[in-house]
Amino acid sequence: MRNEDESFIGISPIYHTIIFEMKKQKKKLYFFTVIAILIAVLTGYILQLFPDFLLPQTQAEFFSSGLTFISFITLFAACLFFSGIICSEFNKRTGFIVFPKINKYKLIIGKYLGNLILVVFIVAVFYFILGLFGFLYYGGPINIRIFYSFGFAVLYVIALSSFVTLFSSFMKNVNITIIITLVILLMGFNMADQIINLIFADAFEPLYSLAYLGNLITSVLLNPFPNPRYTEFSFGGMGPPGMGGGDFSFGTWATPSIFMGTTLLLVYIVACFLLAALLFKRRQL
Amino acid sequence: MSETVIKLENLTKKFGNFTAVNSVNLEVHRGETIGLVGPNGAGKTTTIKMIAKILRPNAGKILIQTNHSGLQDLQSVSTTVSKIGFLIDIPNFYNMTGYQLLKYYAKIQRYPKEKIENRIDELLELFKLSEWKHEKTKKYSKGMVQKLGIIQAILHDPVIIILDEPQTGLDPLARIEIRKYIRKLSKLGKTIFVASHMLYEISEVCDKIALINYGKIIGFDTVENLALSLGTSEINCVLLNPLPAEKLAPLLTRMVDRLNPYLDQNLDPNTSEIPIRYNPEHQGLKFYFDGKNESKGEILKILVKEFESDFTIVSFIQPRTTQLERVYSKMVTDNTPEGTIKLTGDDSKK
Repeated sequence: MRNEDESFIGISPIYHTIIFEMKKQKKKLYFFTVIAILIAVLTGYILQLFPDFLLPQTQAEFFSSGLTFISFITLFAACLFFSGIICSEFNKRTGFIVFPKINKYKLIIGKYLGNLILVVFIVAVFYFILGLFGFLYYGGPINIRIFYSFGFAVLYVIALSSFVTLFSSFMKNVNITIIITLVILLMGFNMADQIINLIFADAFEPLYSLAYLGNLITSVLLNPFPNPRYTEFSFGGMGPPGMGGGDFSFGTWATPSIFMGTTLLLVYIVACFLLAALLFKRRQL
Repeated sequence: MSETVIKLENLTKKFGNFTAVNSVNLEVHRGETIGLVGPNGAGKTTTIKMIAKILRPNAGKILIQTNHSGLQDLQSVSTTVSKIGFLIDIPNFYNMTGYQLLKYYAKIQRYPKEKIENRIDELLELFKLSEWKHEKTKKYSKGMVQKLGIIQAILHDPVIIILDEPQTGLDPLARIEIRKYIRKLSKLGKTIFVASHMLYEISEVCDKIALINYGKIIGFDTVENLALSLGTSEINCVLLNPLPAEKLAPLLTRMVDRLNPYLDQNLDPNTSEIPIRYNPEHQGLKFYFDGKNESKGEILKILVKEFESDFTIVSFIQPRTTQLERVYSKMVTDNTPEGTIKLTGDDSKK
């Protein structure tokens, strides 16, 4: 006779959940893949067709300009794929069917990985097309730094996904989760960074900020890597001091260091996901 | 007595100050079909949700039969209970096809891979959903969703099946099919736990009834034993030919005299003024008797022997639903949060 308890040990339910989740999110995958392709073609090909548009001098610069939109793609993809990952089970009451069938930890791991594969695929498509144009314009070999950049993009999108999953674990409504996470990720972190910069200048690096950590995606393409990473801009004003005259300086952190950035992205991934899983386990329907 | 498969010990669930389930004690044995009956908000679904580990009890224990070591505390069993099939509340599915959903559910419950396709087809056929196999659930009617809910509960061939309001949204034919299927599962030795307020559905399929109100189990026994607490039971006797009006009064008097020792001596006037009534529309006699099985036999014997020349009996039945309805009404009327009335019996005192 089948051992009932034993049947739930092992990764088989996780594997089946991954496959099922990927099928479930098929429409979102198609939508975002088309968007990613369109943006990659727009930035990598169509813009170059304009006579006034100057092709960057190096392949790395080309990739850097092409990756301007990557943070938006990853951000929207993470929000839309992961916002309902937990709260929809409660909000739409689908949990009544699935919770008694599978351990909650296995369910969340399966759902998380299933969505993650899709989001990483979308990012990979974007990089692939950009890489293709890079090869077309500049010939081979492809700059190795694009692979580093891809690595950081994947790390960044996983961190974003964990962050959104955390919100999904305690929010009640999918749409509100999308709005809140988008506002935090698009504006919240950036505003906080600006305020921190104004107050502390170079004394405090905004390492808490996912938006700041995401800068690694493009900065890793630069050779040499930005150093110093904190830059101060001075503006000379006209007129007497206090009336718009005098010097005004404003500093900004360009990018975290590779080590610190990687570490903190990993911390974000692990901490947010573990917290989300614990909250999910505790949450009652 | 067969082994206990589920045991609820002082199970309590509170939502703030509201006690939804209040120290419930219940024992379900292997192969039994138990009906959990109570009005809306009585605590039926909350009890089931706790067994499904969807809700955590505030106090008490749920013990469950495991393969390893008899009854085990559900909270200490780290794995999801794969031996139980659940239908909780009105089912809501992901917007996938019925086939995709069932295949996924079968796989995560480790139903043998080679049997999955056949099992899905068999159940879809049984519940007449085969044509909808590859349609997304958002196209399903309410009744079809309910059927799919029942299918997912029994898909992995569980030992224990817990169904919460399984007849909700179903048409009469589908209800008949479900009743048949529950009986069939019962014959296969499955332990079935059905929560409902549809008394007819419950009385037709269940061996025992647990009456719940204000979160408390106030009676747990067979319909017949629960009805004993009412002090009166009914027998419906359908006649071949209608009784002539001019003979009716003397005949009824004669029957009351003859059957008097077996009839209910303290009949509640709200139920009936007289212990034997004739209903010309249904061409039948209704007897209010003391509820004892022996009395039932005696009544039939006397009617057949001594009233043979007056009428011919076509059927002689004790309607379980009516009995349960009366028990249920009494329960709802009598049972208040301040003080509850115990309707029976040995089992409920356990």
